[in-house]
Amino acid sequence: MMILVTGGSGSGKSAFAENCVVSLGSEKRIYIATMYPYDGESRKRVKRHRKMRAGKGFDTLECYTGLSGVHVPEGCTVLLECMSNLVANEMFREEGAHERTYDEITKGILHLKEQAAHLIVVTNEIFSEAVCYQGDTEEYRRCLGNINQFLAGQSDQAAEVVYGIPVYFKKSTEIPKITGEEKTDGGKL
Amino acid sequence: MEMIIGGAFQGKASYAEKMYPGIRWKKGAELSAEELFCAEGVLGFHEFIRREMQAERDTENLAEELIRRNPGIILVSDEVGYGVVPVDAFDRAYRERVGRICTELAAFSQKVTRVICGAGMVIKDV
Repeated sequence: MMILVTGGSGSGKSAFAENCVVSLGSEKRIYIATMYPYDGESRKRVKRHRKMRAGKGFDTLECYTGLSGVHVPEGCTVLLECMSNLVANEMFREEGAHERTYDEITKGILHLKEQAAHLIVVTNEIFSEAVCYQGDTEEYRRCLGNINQFLAGQSDQAAEVVYGIPVYFKKSTEIPKITGEEKTDGGKL
Repeated sequence: MEMIIGGAFQGKASYAEKMYPGIRWKKGAELSAEELFCAEGVLGFHEFIRREMQAERDTENLAEELIRRNPGIILVSDEVGYGVVPVDAFDRAYRERVGRICTELAAFSQKVTRVICGAGMVIKDV
């Protein structure tokens, strides 16, 4: 099963996604971290996320670019966070895929789906504001928007998390709805 | 506690005033922290957070304190986290803080309504 979790900044997407993983059962849990720690602010962010994940039984795998080459144990549950960082890395980092970003990432997602029992992807809503962008930033928005559409298409469930509350915009009928509520075997929210 | 949230200029205040006709509303852009802790309802709660941060007052425990001291308040707030990461460090911090505070308050709230184009969509009701 694949679940897409999206939402605005600081909306509680990560906590919800982590609890989705925990409520999916006790298979091996892999966290694919995509944020490159390039400055103090991002290092602080990474630290905060590590703290949130602590005690939830994740093995962390860092992937800043080249998702299609990532191997995970057969039948595991994968949480990939966050697509907005991965797209930025592929587009703007030297070793990134640049104009092949969409192909590289969609290939990577399909490859992960083949290996994992469950795949949860966290992405970001950055598409509703008044500021006009040009050049690289606009190209980035276009690419992430297209990838988000691909992800929703691939997913069995897709939810926008609004201040911690999941608002589903895609729900499979056969699969029980994941509430994302915290289970007792996890760490504290 | 109840929350009414949504983008800017979506009719949140009118919606709130209609839903809670008996309430004396305060404005987030004007009220002090002490007034917040005894207000019945606040419009533009995000403005309060911005002012506190501009004045370099600590907002880390604001949600917790509000829950403790004024658990019945009705809060109306903009959602501000739906754009590209701002270039300015203060804007980035403000945007994230509004999200964190409102997420904590939403978890405590009995009811959360999101207003779009003047229409309220209840996304939490317990």
